[in-house]
Amino acid sequence: MAERADDRLVRLLGLVAFLDDAGPVRVEELAQRFGVTPQQVREDVDALWVSGTPGYMPDDLIDFDAYSLEGGLVALTQARGMTRPLRLGTREAVALVAALRAMHASPAVQADPGRASVVASALDKLAAATGEAASAVDVRLAGDGDPQVVAAVTSALGEQRRLHLRYVNAADVASERDVDPLRLVTQDGSMYLVAWCLRAEGRRTFRVDRILAAQVLDTPAAEHDVRDPDADVWASVAHEAAPVATLVLASAGRWVAEEVPAESVRDLPDGSVEVRLRVTNPAWLRRLLLANAPDVLSVSPPEVARDAASAARDALAAYGPAPGGTPAGRA
Amino acid sequence: MPANPDGPDAGRLAPARGTPPAERLLNLVIALVNTSAAMTKQQVRAGVAGYGDAPSTEAFERMFERDKDTLRALGIPIVTVDAGGHSDDVGYRIDNDAYALGPVDLTPAELGVVALAAQLWSDKTLRTDMSRAMTKLRAAGAGEAASDAVAGLAPRVRAAGDAYVPLLEAISERRDVSFRYRAASTGQELTRHVEPWRIAARGSGWYLVGFDRGRGAPRVFRMSRIAGRVKVGSRPGAFDVPAEVDVDAMLGARVGAVRRARLAVVPERAQALRARATPADGAGPRSDGRDLLDVEYRSLSAFADEVAAYGQAVVVVEPDDLRADVVRRLTAASGLDATAGAGPREEEEHRG
Repeated sequence: MAERADDRLVRLLGLVAFLDDAGPVRVEELAQRFGVTPQQVREDVDALWVSGTPGYMPDDLIDFDAYSLEGGLVALTQARGMTRPLRLGTREAVALVAALRAMHASPAVQADPGRASVVASALDKLAAATGEAASAVDVRLAGDGDPQVVAAVTSALGEQRRLHLRYVNAADVASERDVDPLRLVTQDGSMYLVAWCLRAEGRRTFRVDRILAAQVLDTPAAEHDVRDPDADVWASVAHEAAPVATLVLASAGRWVAEEVPAESVRDLPDGSVEVRLRVTNPAWLRRLLLANAPDVLSVSPPEVARDAASAARDALAAYGPAPGGTPAGRA
Repeated sequence: MPANPDGPDAGRLAPARGTPPAERLLNLVIALVNTSAAMTKQQVRAGVAGYGDAPSTEAFERMFERDKDTLRALGIPIVTVDAGGHSDDVGYRIDNDAYALGPVDLTPAELGVVALAAQLWSDKTLRTDMSRAMTKLRAAGAGEAASDAVAGLAPRVRAAGDAYVPLLEAISERRDVSFRYRAASTGQELTRHVEPWRIAARGSGWYLVGFDRGRGAPRVFRMSRIAGRVKVGSRPGAFDVPAEVDVDAMLGARVGAVRRARLAVVPERAQALRARATPADGAGPRSDGRDLLDVEYRSLSAFADEVAAYGQAVVVVEPDDLRADVVRRLTAASGLDATAGAGPREEEEHRG
């Protein structure tokens, strides 16, 4: 797809301002700095070379040293007044400052004073340079987890060391395992550790609030061939090959549709909402239904409904008759 | 200019013919930065490379207006200079004092932090904004980014949706907005007129906090329930934002005192809950072999969700309201396999 004109413009202006300050720079280095191919850098230089002030006579144009360029070195000789780096737009500054603020306040950053101070100084510099007091956008990153667990996980990531975890899964089964941490992802209200599990010999995602204990081991973390450590954390719950479950939720349960890995969400004429999920983990779906049943109008397939209903009946039996002799549920 | 505009290098050497938009914009910026006073539209059309491409005055006007909007959106401060009153005399220039980024001087570690912060957003618009912001910062001479300080962290927030851009613009300029909004309690869509104060992300949701003119009171709106386009009022400075906006208090996410529940838990079960629990004081052994635990919570409904999800493994001993809430969920769940339609349902407290 062709690059947007405004994105290219920002880079063209950026190249001139950077080169004016930096002096001659190799094409490859510019390509890396601006995240484009060396070929693109050469095309950008070609575009700059014919740009300038009205008249466009040789003295009006941005100019480079042609001899250096043949040798792969970009040397700006005339900037036509475009020497200063362009400021950030309001939207850019707001979003960047809000993101830095959210990171600074997050438990994953606060767990390590050194890290927190680097984030704080980056935030201060950006806020000062952009003049953005950014209170328009206020982002809070999730962080429910044992502070000691969060501290152990973040320090293992920083030092690239192996972790020993005690973890309890969605089915409430606890286990012990060693993992090599890859990422600490904050997403959708929770923190997740993406790691290579040595027991399972594969990539696994652990919800941080279900890590009961984490211990940093002396063993360095090994290299693993993990294709996409940044992949969506829902990949651990939802999978396109998994069976489909369909829930119809009352309007008050709409927020459920907004927080689960839904394959599709459809508004029904009566204000209720139909959610289709592909769920690999029946225990996860059972928990979702138990917690939200008052807003669930229907569930299919029937075996999913039966599974949740039978779990609920077992639970009500555990409550026994309520005090005063009334049956449980009418208290 | 070369004499032969149709030569092999025509695209490069003759900006007046088929100039790519990025180069036309670049030439406009250079012209407006270097102009001694200001340039009128006519001077732009006649003088700046690329505008000669416009086949008619109307086409030129459209092109020029669009380009000005594009440049302003990028943060380039184009100002108008009114020379005499006739609209053709209006001149344009770039405010050179406002053009430049202040000195940033990021260390490699700080640039690494900023680069990570730029990854936070999932909206396409915001990602585009962020990649541009990074280009500008790299142009400002920051060195190589070093990611050691934030190794392995991957903070993300869910996409804020189409309402984000118009709402942010409205907040920045203090313009009122109106939009169709689907109420959670009834599922009905109604038009709401709002003075927008803040956009906030909490958990997995995006919210607009503002003053609802129709209700005459501050309100919180879940942005995913805004249907269709947000209409932004024409008048800037239409209202004042209160000096203190307590987003969390308005969302009710963290309000209310900490309360303590006593739970009877099957041995070895509900481990995640146990990690937050303290053994109950002064409680004798239970005949059913369950462990008695005390757990603190704030939100009744969120904690009832969590406890109900454990099914028979966790029974609420006290308080009564929590017990009733959990039992209500379980009772509803126990009927999920009934073929008859669901009975009348109660309204739940606002869940945001």
